Amino acid sequence: MIDFIQNTVDGVMFGSSYALLAIGFTIVFGVMRRLNLAFGASIMLGAYMGTWLHVHYQVHVLVVAVTTVACTVLVGIYVERLCFHAVRRDAALASMVSSFVIWMQLEEAAIHLLPERTYAFPGLFAAGSYEAGPFLFRTEQTAMLLLAAVMVGALHLLLHRTRFGLALRATSENPLAAAYMGIHRTWTVLCAFVLMSLAGGVAGFAILATDQQITPFFGLWATFKGLIAMMLGGMGSLPGAILGGLLLGVVEAHALWYLGAEYRDLSAFLLLFAMLVSRPGGLLGQRILSREELAFRRV
Amino acid sequence: MLELSGLSKHFGGVKAVDELDLTVNEGEIVGLIGPNGSGKSTTINLICGVFGETAGTVRFRGELMNGKPPHQRLRAGLARTFQNIRLFPNLTVWQNLWVAQNSPQDVSARGFLPRWFGATRRTRREIADLLDLADLGHKDDELASNLAFGEQRRLEFARAAATRPRLLLLDEPAAGMNQQEIADLSRRIHRVRDSGVTILLVEHVMELVMGVTEQIAVLNFGRKIAFGTPGEVQRDKAVQEAYLGASDPGDGSA
Repeated sequence: MIDFIQNTVDGVMFGSSYALLAIGFTIVFGVMRRLNLAFGASIMLGAYMGTWLHVHYQVHVLVVAVTTVACTVLVGIYVERLCFHAVRRDAALASMVSSFVIWMQLEEAAIHLLPERTYAFPGLFAAGSYEAGPFLFRTEQTAMLLLAAVMVGALHLLLHRTRFGLALRATSENPLAAAYMGIHRTWTVLCAFVLMSLAGGVAGFAILATDQQITPFFGLWATFKGLIAMMLGGMGSLPGAILGGLLLGVVEAHALWYLGAEYRDLSAFLLLFAMLVSRPGGLLGQRILSREELAFRRV
Repeated sequence: MLELSGLSKHFGGVKAVDELDLTVNEGEIVGLIGPNGSGKSTTINLICGVFGETAGTVRFRGELMNGKPPHQRLRAGLARTFQNIRLFPNLTVWQNLWVAQNSPQDVSARGFLPRWFGATRRTRREIADLLDLADLGHKDDELASNLAFGEQRRLEFARAAATRPRLLLLDEPAAGMNQQEIADLSRRIHRVRDSGVTILLVEHVMELVMGVTEQIAVLNFGRKIAFGTPGEVQRDKAVQEAYLGASDPGDGSA
């Protein structure tokens, strides 16, 4: 029982950064009904720029954090301009394919920046742990959970309490009506990408600071985890993204403990498969799907 | 104020709107009526830029609107409501009105930060006025999706007014309304007009059109077949035939 609770807590802690990745995907999906497959690679390249500073100038970990987030945002804007702004009208598939292609380019850029495969990434704290009763918590993972919680809280306030966030959600709920209320679509999409990259940059930094190493494969890994978490929760749903991320983290933690490390990723795919078969809309996505269908029927 | 000339929209071989000329003067309430499929909604959509025109021009306050995206048309002072209600369902009533405040006056009166991240006292007062217009003051904190049908229609009307239009396009605002609601709606339309807004009303419900408009244009098969005061239009032979389907070329179902 204690193992079970311990694993669940570990899962929630790690799942919090999956949740941030899923929120990134879901914000852009909500506004554009498009998937940005280069999301993970953008975070990876942003983190590589942070790592580059760390490798060459031994800068402080906070500088690495800020650089990672800022560069992720820059790369995110680049991807939006190239894959989504330029190929936009009636070309959902084209922009998805081009975001996949740009992924390769971002990976190349990262390899040119730092040609060896693996680099050390600075941790926020020296790896440590503390005990609370029978349970053991790792310091870095606790920091990850706190960081994610703060980020989610800030995003929630932004999306529910400011006119900026409401305009973003309005576009996501009814693009046509939003356009006729004077909400500028191009800007909204760009802002959605900036928010996506902010969430992704923070998640990326938190994960890498916990793993304390970075490879070019991080892009693939982050895209997978974020996509799976989003699909679990329901595409386009923010609470769904949080729930999906935590669920994914918990299931992975249990698989890791009871089945072994090689089953960790496999369990994620199995979970996604089971969800898509039983509830194709995800945990909280059903309502959104049916509303879209309604909209189509009306048109 | 609004000038359509030679406006045409063809969908394949179907001439949804054909060589339409129409002028709406400032301060008027103009009705646009016609049997089903006569091109009324297409005309509204052309004015708002939902899709591009096949030929002809849309001029608004002397400015050519062809090819301009929706948000620019809104800045120029064109606002609309939708035939199928298109509110933001997961935003509250108050928030639905708040996000619609994108007029040039709002842009210039407030700085970037107060405009996007906070609500000034003036904003709150203006939204209170709009809530009063829509009779929704007691429901300002309710999600739009929880409103009853009639309330949603009222909110959509107020939301369009929140953009401070010079010309308000109403696309079948009375669909599904009862007598009392229609009376309220025409009172509301007059109130908005008296605040200096010109109104173009597309409607099926004759009770509303005949009661509220000053000029009526009648469309049939995408062409304008009559234009005049409600009385003139009602007496017009071509209009009577269009509505009774007596001399429809090839199709008697209208």
